[in-house]
Amino acid sequence: MKAFETYHPIVLFAYFASVIGLSMFYMHPVYLLITCIGAITLSLLLNRKSFVSGLKFFVPMFFIAAIINPLISHDGEIILFYIDYNAITLEAIVYGFAMSIMICSVIFWFGCYNVVMTSDKFLYLFGKVSPALALVISLTLRLVPRFKHQITIISHAQKTIGMDISAGNPWQRVKSGIRIISILITWALENAIETADSMKARGYGLKNRSTFSLFVFEKRDGFLLGIILTLLLTNIIGSYFGMTTYYFYPTFTELALTPISIGLYISYASLLVIPIVIEIREAIKWRSLKYNM
Amino acid sequence: MALIEIQHVNFQYPDKHERVLDDINLIIEEGEFAVLCGTSGCGKSTLLKHLKREIAPHGDKSGTILYAGTALADLPDRVAASEIGFVMQNPENQIVTDKVWHELSFGLENLGLDTMTIRRRVAEMANFFGIQQWFRKSTMELSGGQKQLLNLAAIMAMQPKLLILDEPTSQLDPIAATEFIGTLQKLNKELGLTIILVEHRLEEVFPIADRVVVMEKGRIICNDSPQDVAQQLKAFDASHPMMLGLPTPVRINNALQINDIVPLTIRDGRNWLTKHFTNELRALESKLSSEIPPDDIVLEVKEAWFRYEKNAQDVLRGFSMQVRAGEIVSILGGNGTGKTTALGVMSGLYKPYRGKVFINGKSIKKFSNGELYRNNLAVLPQDPLTLLVEKKVQLEFDSIIDVLGISKEAANVQLNEIITTLNIGHLLDSHPYDLSGGEQQKVALAKVLLLNPKIILLDEPTKGIDAYSKEIFAEVLQALKKRRVAVVMVTHDIEFSAQYSDRCAMFFDGNIVSEDEPKLFYSGNNFYTTAAHRMSRHLYDFAVTSEDVISLCKHNQQLEQTTTPVNV
Repeated sequence: MKAFETYHPIVLFAYFASVIGLSMFYMHPVYLLITCIGAITLSLLLNRKSFVSGLKFFVPMFFIAAIINPLISHDGEIILFYIDYNAITLEAIVYGFAMSIMICSVIFWFGCYNVVMTSDKFLYLFGKVSPALALVISLTLRLVPRFKHQITIISHAQKTIGMDISAGNPWQRVKSGIRIISILITWALENAIETADSMKARGYGLKNRSTFSLFVFEKRDGFLLGIILTLLLTNIIGSYFGMTTYYFYPTFTELALTPISIGLYISYASLLVIPIVIEIREAIKWRSLKYNM
Repeated sequence: MALIEIQHVNFQYPDKHERVLDDINLIIEEGEFAVLCGTSGCGKSTLLKHLKREIAPHGDKSGTILYAGTALADLPDRVAASEIGFVMQNPENQIVTDKVWHELSFGLENLGLDTMTIRRRVAEMANFFGIQQWFRKSTMELSGGQKQLLNLAAIMAMQPKLLILDEPTSQLDPIAATEFIGTLQKLNKELGLTIILVEHRLEEVFPIADRVVVMEKGRIICNDSPQDVAQQLKAFDASHPMMLGLPTPVRINNALQINDIVPLTIRDGRNWLTKHFTNELRALESKLSSEIPPDDIVLEVKEAWFRYEKNAQDVLRGFSMQVRAGEIVSILGGNGTGKTTALGVMSGLYKPYRGKVFINGKSIKKFSNGELYRNNLAVLPQDPLTLLVEKKVQLEFDSIIDVLGISKEAANVQLNEIITTLNIGHLLDSHPYDLSGGEQQKVALAKVLLLNPKIILLDEPTKGIDAYSKEIFAEVLQALKKRRVAVVMVTHDIEFSAQYSDRCAMFFDGNIVSEDEPKLFYSGNNFYTTAAHRMSRHLYDFAVTSEDVISLCKHNQQLEQTTTPVNV
């Protein structure tokens, strides 16, 4: 269990929603750098295995996306060379890389989101919005593996009377397949009656249904949620006043290094490093606990 | 105070002429543990469902049911839902959600309780039932016994005053079933919970019940303490279907017609036997079944090793077995020892990575699919419904005859013969799903028999069917035996295998550890043996079925009568 995952689902969702939301729109080089470092560090901390194995897919994608842009877009003032009378500009190349960084970072964020927001957390959040939908999802999550299991049992049974999809001519095989599905559906409907009875017997359908979850909103959740929302708001305000916009075309705008812009960079960086700080703090805490034992 | 009072209840399903419930009067006191029994179709399940308003069957009903003095129909919704708990037969179907904790809280959510209350009740239940270890697991990962325990816990979390259970252990293996019954007894003794239980496995529940209610054809025929019911049942014929389900000591007592206190448990049964019978004749003359020539081997497994995945553990470890034509072989053993996998290997569903399987002396690998499952080998799955597709039983047979591609006339001759053997002529126009468990099984078996197999593999054929249907099924097995069909069954049912098989094999740790004819097999075991043997082994040898014990007792009785005058 990673430390960050133990926070309340609302906090986790708020974090990922704001981080993914912001990094999707920022093309400012400093912001991109922060996004990229943040996303990679968090991925290494939370899902190292799938992140590393995914690299062989992301690295080529990164370069391809970066190369395609200068081939399509010929805007920009700094012309490096010509291919077939088409200008390849520095601006277009840099913009291509910036685009790639942004896309890859967002994908990395989603990877982390998947690790942290497990189905029951997602369900819990949805339950707040629509309890009925949440229950339907929970029922489905139970039924799908059950159906899978049952279909194996049925096809085994059919196989041992020589009527499965691996025997006979194509037409017989199709018929066998249909037969298996037909048995499954009858079985499912018949059993669903009993499940419905079980739900009714336990009072499903009474008014004022409540939703229960194992998640507790603690003080620290409120504290962290406050920080996340403040930082998010700061950045939105910054963007509203155009402090975070950056133009690649016709040529690069100058990087602003005013106290306000530096403040904004820091606020964005702080938002992104929240889980990293939590993980590191937890690691240190455990280390000292271990030594003091 | 009477918790449940049933007054003159009659019930009839729509479009049916017979009454399923016929003038039922019954009072269940608070804190009672009542067991309701009877053969299948006697109306016991229907009666139970009437006690739970939400799932009461539709039909023509008259009479009143009072719950704590109020008519059931007038109870407020919340009270009806929470105070009367209902556990059904199939553990799978009752589970609604995907997580254990969510399942425990489901009913409480429906009642609209707040989070803190739910948290507390769920914690209480998890502790009482020992669910902590799998509290956060997915419900799919649980075993059958755990699932049923979860169903019970989820209902107990709603704090019912009355718990109704409809054959809750029929889908469980014997160990899980005993554990479940033990939990019920604990609930009754420690919390004073009123329990109404329908069961066909009476061996364990009969002695612990406060009241036994026996039903037949929609009527209550006995309603008293277990001891008195056992006395009253003496008036019935010993071959009455009802008798078959009773605990072994009661059956033996009834058959011998001795008028004193009826022993209900094995312990009492032992003392009772010692008190009434001598053991001058220790064993019956054994009729060893040497009629089968040993060379007629139809199925042979040689040193089979099997595992499901390359890196998984071996499930079968050098499993070897021989089956002869016209022989009934039972494979017994605990859960997870690989019995069902062994059946899979014999049927060609799984391929062993080492070792060989021979059908009629020919390696199973050399058969094509079509060949193997026609005129050779057939499997009757645990759930007969996995074989049945059509709307009518007759169409089931037609469909398989179609696939077989044999002439209609030849097929019909064969079909008629099978239908007479299995005695299912009256079911041909019914929908397979409307039949009872035992009937469904017979129809599935008939379908399998149309393939004219020489070897039939059965996966737990007696699971979830009542004692009477078992008896019928045993007759079918005998008929197959006469046709020189070899039958191999995997089962948990010790009593059934002792009575009807020619050979029993104990499966353990991926292999057969002991194998013998039932009399020797069970008298060699100390724990894993029949109730009749446990009850009588201090007096008699090789008595493994209640019939054995009864005839030994009769012999000794006669001996006593003839010898006594000489001694005097």
